Amino acid sequence: MPWLFLLAWWVLALIVAAGSYAAWNRSGLSLHLVVRNTMPAAGSPADDLPEQLLRRAPIPEPVFEGDGFGLEVALHASRGARGPVWAVGQVGAKEVWVSAGVVPKAGWSRVKDLPALRRGPVAARGWRIHTSDPLGFFRGVRPTPDSEIALILPRFASLAGRREPRELEASLPVPRAGSGNELFGIREYRPGDSLRRIHWRSSARHGELVVREYEPPGVQSLAICLDPQPPTPEVADQIARIAASEAWDCIQEGGQVVVWAPGLEPSQSSRDLWSQLEWLARYPNHPSGGVPRSGRQEVVVITASADEDLLANASRAWVVGDVEIDTDVPFERVGLQWPL
Amino acid sequence: MASVTRWLRLPASPVEHSVEGRGFVFSGFVVAVLAIVLYGQDYVVPVLGVVAAAIGHVVSYRRRNSKRGFWRQAVLAALVFGALFYVIADSSLALFGGTLPQANFAILLVAITSFDLKTRRNCYSSLWISLAILYLAAVYAWDYAFAVLAGLWVLCLVGFWIASHHKRLNAELKGPARPVALMLGAALLGGLLSFVLIPQPSGVPVSPLVVSLPNFTAFKGGLESPALPLVQLTGDPSGATSSIDLHFRGRLGDAPVMYVRTGAPAYWRGLVFDEYRNGAWTATNHGYREMQPYVPPRFLPPAPPGNLGTFVQTFRVLRPLPGVINAAYPIQSLYAPVAALREDAYGTFHTPQPLRPGQTYSVVSFLPDLTPALLRAAEPMDQEHLDAYPDNYTIYGDPSSVSARASNLADEVTQSASTEYDKVMALTTYLQRNYRYTLDLPPVPAGKDPVDWFLFDVKTGYCEQFATAETLMLRSLGIPARLATGYATGDYDPILNQAVVREHDAHAWVEVWFPGHGWVPVDPTPGVSPLAATKFPSHWAGGGIARLIPHLSIGAPAAALGSLGVLAVVPPAIALALIAVLAYAWLRRRVWTARPRPQPGESELLRLYERLQRRLTRRRAPPETPREYQHAMGEHSSPFMGRWPEGPEGLLAEVTQAVNEGAYAGRWPDPRRVRDLAERIS
Repeated sequence: MPWLFLLAWWVLALIVAAGSYAAWNRSGLSLHLVVRNTMPAAGSPADDLPEQLLRRAPIPEPVFEGDGFGLEVALHASRGARGPVWAVGQVGAKEVWVSAGVVPKAGWSRVKDLPALRRGPVAARGWRIHTSDPLGFFRGVRPTPDSEIALILPRFASLAGRREPRELEASLPVPRAGSGNELFGIREYRPGDSLRRIHWRSSARHGELVVREYEPPGVQSLAICLDPQPPTPEVADQIARIAASEAWDCIQEGGQVVVWAPGLEPSQSSRDLWSQLEWLARYPNHPSGGVPRSGRQEVVVITASADEDLLANASRAWVVGDVEIDTDVPFERVGLQWPL
Repeated sequence: MASVTRWLRLPASPVEHSVEGRGFVFSGFVVAVLAIVLYGQDYVVPVLGVVAAAIGHVVSYRRRNSKRGFWRQAVLAALVFGALFYVIADSSLALFGGTLPQANFAILLVAITSFDLKTRRNCYSSLWISLAILYLAAVYAWDYAFAVLAGLWVLCLVGFWIASHHKRLNAELKGPARPVALMLGAALLGGLLSFVLIPQPSGVPVSPLVVSLPNFTAFKGGLESPALPLVQLTGDPSGATSSIDLHFRGRLGDAPVMYVRTGAPAYWRGLVFDEYRNGAWTATNHGYREMQPYVPPRFLPPAPPGNLGTFVQTFRVLRPLPGVINAAYPIQSLYAPVAALREDAYGTFHTPQPLRPGQTYSVVSFLPDLTPALLRAAEPMDQEHLDAYPDNYTIYGDPSSVSARASNLADEVTQSASTEYDKVMALTTYLQRNYRYTLDLPPVPAGKDPVDWFLFDVKTGYCEQFATAETLMLRSLGIPARLATGYATGDYDPILNQAVVREHDAHAWVEVWFPGHGWVPVDPTPGVSPLAATKFPSHWAGGGIARLIPHLSIGAPAAALGSLGVLAVVPPAIALALIAVLAYAWLRRRVWTARPRPQPGESELLRLYERLQRRLTRRRAPPETPREYQHAMGEHSSPFMGRWPEGPEGLLAEVTQAVNEGAYAGRWPDPRRVRDLAERIS
């Protein structure tokens, strides 16, 4: 029966052609993972942060605990259109799958909404670019290196309204932007500001008038000392949240903050909230390091253990959990729930 | 037990969610049904089947996520059994007309199961049944148009694969258009070329094809002996006659008589005649034995020694023919869709009634290995080897019907030949070389013996006269011979392995008895191979090309190419080189034509600009822009400048402006304006 031979030849030729296509389809593909947007949950700091502060964030889309985010999975075909292509891998503990019938030379992307993830770095692990011929006979797999695609920052909220031992704070000078000698920062121009204080370069960059602010004398300098070995990840999360809240309160009022834990490398003393949040996002997984430079500092300890050395120089303290501590330092005990 | 059940159970197949994939499955079924409609002339069940399948597909798609209900499954099972009853009843009793019962059963099966296409495996099942339907249609397809249907079915299969794969990936049904088109095009072309260029292996058939139209008429009375149809002038509409009279000959047209799908080109032998009296051939032995429609090998003579295997022929009758099974001999097994068969004393099979148009039968024949060396070595026939003589030798060896003149001629021609084979070949080649073949022959004059008239008077004749003359002359030499009739191969299509046998292919040749080999066909008609035994093309290189030669007479071109040995690769190499050159030329042409055509005025203006530069005695330097050139020329003194009344700067500025507008803005000037500028330059 010649027609059966014709059909057989066609099927055989299709298989050969599909094999060649699959071999061709494997080349020139690369994968890129980017956090494209966030979906702030109720009570997320992202809703309360000033726009200017968000604009200064080192990462385009800061993600906080509890926030969902959109992961953009982009495929690039450097040698012309390819397809079908699909990529599979893990983001955190969640498996993500994207597929494209065709990846044009200009590239292809899909945003996958991911649920809230735990504080800390988000790793993209085990990602593989899969290719095949259109018929699905032959497949190719190319692994891609693991990478960190996001850093989930600790949630925080201003604790200024709930601190009981306010009397302690009352004795401290309130740091405020003024007209001292040290440059405090910049802010938008307000009527009445001296024209000499206009920072022209920044104004040009922002498209609006921006003036310099000088730091008044006696600015607050806060050292937040954390328990170096929190017993559970949940406790570590809570410690990080409290520390972030303390740092936020201090920085909001113009102070400088350094966060550290004994035996771990401290954060950079800074008025930049983001660097503190980044340090806290990775807490307690930091490399070993020294202690921060001592100065005229208020020291706040946040701990879940009864470490007397830790509390020795503290001005005040937060205790997470039910651990019994014997100290004269004023402290507040909190559980694991958030907000406090 | 549970483990056995688990082992037997196929892995779960996923639900097929691709609506496009299901569409391709349905389209594949429609293509197969269309093939049945076009080639099987079967209409009612196919149309009903397509409508039911369309509804079934919609129902299946909507309910694909639902659990299969017991009653629904029971109803579908009952319908399947109903279809089974239909095919059995129609096949054995022709209750519903007996038209393509197998195909109709497959169509009904697809239509019924279309209501239960849930998983991907179900879709595959539907496709494979469609393929079976297509196969049944292919049995009746004898033209190249069927390749279109086959191609469409393959595209449906490909479409299902692509749609299903993309759905499984959850990807949109898209792809890089050019590469995918290239892949599909290459596959279709590559498959087609492979089909055309690579011989199809014949394999070893185990039995004849049984896909045929049944006919339930039984034999009535004794064996008739209808002769070669169409040759004789008879009153029988099928052309049947019981004798061949060489005094007359009918006219043979070009109308097709039958299609033969065959693994090897051959002579389709029908009746055999042994007695020649007064210019007419008749068959003397009217004995027969009755057989079932399927004649297995055990009822037939044993395989010829050293045969080269077997091959299948499927015959489709196109016009009423005598009830004679024409086939390549010797036959290994046979199936004809009739109530019974009769085998006459000469090994020819007869059907109860004349063969009617549309009837199909199939035969498996041996491929004898008959070479000159083997035949030359055959035992001599003499009194010491009586067992070497054929039965009924008194008839086959009867020299009385040949004239003394013809007998003398036979002695004269074969005087130098020592073996029986050499004598046969000497006579055959003598007739082929010294006599002319013609169909325009006047009737044999009254009182003349047709053989003597042919041999000594007109020296022209047609196949029956050549064959008769040789048969009688061989008998005069003591070599048993008889007249075989039937059809020549016909218009052999090497690609489809089929032959269209026409009226004018009706033929007669000689069967010569060789001890140890039996009856060997020999053809003294000019222009064909003397040893008319069926041959496969020698090997694939030679054979592949030989199969491309239309009107392939038995063995000759194939043997010619096969004899080239290794050199047989030269013709295909030349063909491939030719294809490569043509493809290169086509690609080059494509590149040329892809260039943008110059716009009107563009080439004229650029030529004018070149001319102007020549007149100004300094050509524009390659890095120089037209405007820089213009400014540079404003400071340059050329003897030609003074010839322009409006001053050289004006004309050059105008041309430069036009060139700039054309080159950078795409606004080339009107050709008339260019002509005006040209006139001003000259």
